[in-house]
Amino acid sequence: MDGKNILIAGVGGQGLVIATKIISEAALEAGYDVKTNDVIGLSQRGGKVYGSVKIDSKVYSPNIPHGECDILLAMEPMEGYRYSHMLKDNGMAIVNTYRIPSTSIQQEVEEYPEGMLADLKQKYNVSEIDVIKVGKELGNTKVGNTVLIGIMAKKLDIKKETWEKVIQKNVPEKFIDHNIKAFNIGYSYK
Amino acid sequence: MNEKVVLTGNQAIARGFYEAGGLIASSYPGSPTVGIIENMNNYKEIYSEFSTNEKVALEVAMGASFGGVRSLCSMKHVGVNICADPLMTFTQSTINGGFVLISGDDPGMHSSQNEQDNRVFGKFANMAILDPSDSQESKDFTKIGLELSENYSMPFMLRITSRLCHNRSVVNLEERKDIDIKAFEKDAYKYCMLPPYTEKAQYFMKERLQKLEDYAYNTDLNKLEEKEETDTIVITSGLVYQHLKEIDLDASIYKLGMVYPISIKKVKELSKKYKNIIILEEMMPFIENELKINGIDCKGKEYFSFTGEIQIEDVEKGLEKAGLIKERKLNEKQRLKVPSRSPQFCSGCPHRPIYDILKKAKVNVIGDIGCYSMGVLPPFEVHNINMSMGSSIGIVKGMRKAWDLAGNKKPLVAMIGDGTFFHSGVTGFINLMHKLDKNANMTIIILDNKTTAMTGGQPNASSDKEMDVSIEELLQTIGFERIKVLNQYSYKKAKSVIDEEIKHEGLSIIVATGPCALQYRMRHPHFYVDPDICISCRSCIRTNCPPLLMKKYDGHEKLKSFIDPDMCVGCSICAQVCPVNAIKRSKPDDDLKNK
Repeated sequence: MDGKNILIAGVGGQGLVIATKIISEAALEAGYDVKTNDVIGLSQRGGKVYGSVKIDSKVYSPNIPHGECDILLAMEPMEGYRYSHMLKDNGMAIVNTYRIPSTSIQQEVEEYPEGMLADLKQKYNVSEIDVIKVGKELGNTKVGNTVLIGIMAKKLDIKKETWEKVIQKNVPEKFIDHNIKAFNIGYSYK
Repeated sequence: MNEKVVLTGNQAIARGFYEAGGLIASSYPGSPTVGIIENMNNYKEIYSEFSTNEKVALEVAMGASFGGVRSLCSMKHVGVNICADPLMTFTQSTINGGFVLISGDDPGMHSSQNEQDNRVFGKFANMAILDPSDSQESKDFTKIGLELSENYSMPFMLRITSRLCHNRSVVNLEERKDIDIKAFEKDAYKYCMLPPYTEKAQYFMKERLQKLEDYAYNTDLNKLEEKEETDTIVITSGLVYQHLKEIDLDASIYKLGMVYPISIKKVKELSKKYKNIIILEEMMPFIENELKINGIDCKGKEYFSFTGEIQIEDVEKGLEKAGLIKERKLNEKQRLKVPSRSPQFCSGCPHRPIYDILKKAKVNVIGDIGCYSMGVLPPFEVHNINMSMGSSIGIVKGMRKAWDLAGNKKPLVAMIGDGTFFHSGVTGFINLMHKLDKNANMTIIILDNKTTAMTGGQPNASSDKEMDVSIEELLQTIGFERIKVLNQYSYKKAKSVIDEEIKHEGLSIIVATGPCALQYRMRHPHFYVDPDICISCRSCIRTNCPPLLMKKYDGHEKLKSFIDPDMCVGCSICAQVCPVNAIKRSKPDDDLKNK
């Protein structure tokens, strides 16, 4: 596999940290060098957060240069759109369509932007899914990121079993079953 | 053992301390270094604690070093200000067991009130400074720092930045090496810093640094990567070195693992070989100044920003300005405008109702450091002043005195959290009693959520899981009389108490209690809005609870409020502020009625 640069964008508290951990451990298991960065700190709670995972035979900076991202994992549509300029031309965006309005939208100072997905589709390959809906069907709304990782995993040259092993290692025991199912829903998502 | 894992910088430092045979680690929680002590808990050999503040934490680790064991103390950059007093003397005396101070600097101020470059602090304190560039180096440098600390009898600083604390990269694990505990031998020249002993200590301090500068000449900590047929060398350190490696640049690189002291002899030799010396570093021109004061011609900050993180794009732009690379065309930003998204109080956060009450009270409020610092931000914008840990109590007194002298009788309110109270608020409270004017109108609200919430819920003296010190009883012991305790979820009662205390001409203290909704996993049946009753007044919206939003309902012309059931934790504040009872609980329950 050629190197892959993955950018994850979302809202503080959505689980970006654990997502980068899972992706990086899967990459290491598969024999790659890997570096991630993500934003932590409660001051980020509810704020805009983004992180990166870089996978290659040798990785230097954990940061992705502007326009060199292969895959954008958007845990929230507006946040994904915010960082979409980081994508390569024809890059891939995997978007959770469940919206989380920001304070400025709640207070009616700004409006939630419409037409973002259509705009993304003009330049990039877009997969869209409401992961909260998927989570509800599985009986656990906290598995959304695993669904998105599942969709992405299909595009990477890392074995399915490796992903499942790493997910099992990183989620609390009582939620392993939900997460494996969520991963598979993502993995077989068209 | 030859196991490879991916670790954050924080995890790698904890691992390095473990492998180096470290035994005592202390800290005060502050982003970006919180994870260091949290990860120490994985190693049963190590005693670790979150102390009440950084000064106490440093004193604990100093004591451990004097006692002959390897010790570590971690904090965010501003924490070093708090422990500066013992630190400046510690670096003048000596260590016994190896000692490393971790300073978590925050270029770009992701979660900090300022952006101080603690390399300057390290030099000021006469400490050696190591500056890692990834997780592997974070682990290695922790071990090397402890060892060198013992070899040179001096405390070491490991300067790390937010991005590195939270980055994950591949680390090789090694076995733990058990280190014998060193005997403590009585020696006033080493450990008692009073004249006449201190003069000798000054020379000792200088000699250690000189020896270390000789060591820096060809240590493996610094790496020289030479390219042939180039007349340029870039001197750099830390994460920006990794950014530089992403760029195909026709220049040699001298990467410093130890940024203080720098071997001037080495750099002078290099300066004879290269026409251009370019310094690439984040924040202050530290390396640049070190070279310039030693007569070495170099350029740095004229190409790179003095503030914020230096990203790969910034390195490119700087090198372009220096004429070393050509401009790269960047993709254009989004066509649609993307609204802002600031951090906000969590669903069910007990602080939110207090801020709604204060906003309505239209008073001048002095804030402090913690989650409740978000009281500065829209939509509350309640704090007029917000400075540093524990400062609100001293500031409110000074401002009150000033206003009273000027004849301004407007009420003043100060806010402080429980963690901050114990960190450095208590001394301010004791000082409040000193020359206190009976009629000086000050209202102090202590937001007691039983945890240090901002950094992810570490225990503090207020935590029922730990020391469980009663703030109310402590204040009574100091001598405060007018103290009211209220439940933050009981909106109307809280509002009447706060409004009344603000009017009171004199000092009053309110301890507002409510457990952190995140740390104590609040989850009650959610609330919903009946659009037929809702009058679109937006009282609930103004409380800024994340699940609330104005929405179009079928059959209603006006927007009505709506609660996202997946985000609501059922704290009931929105229902309590609704003037027409349009907000109802989805299932009846008795556990959260107004107490």
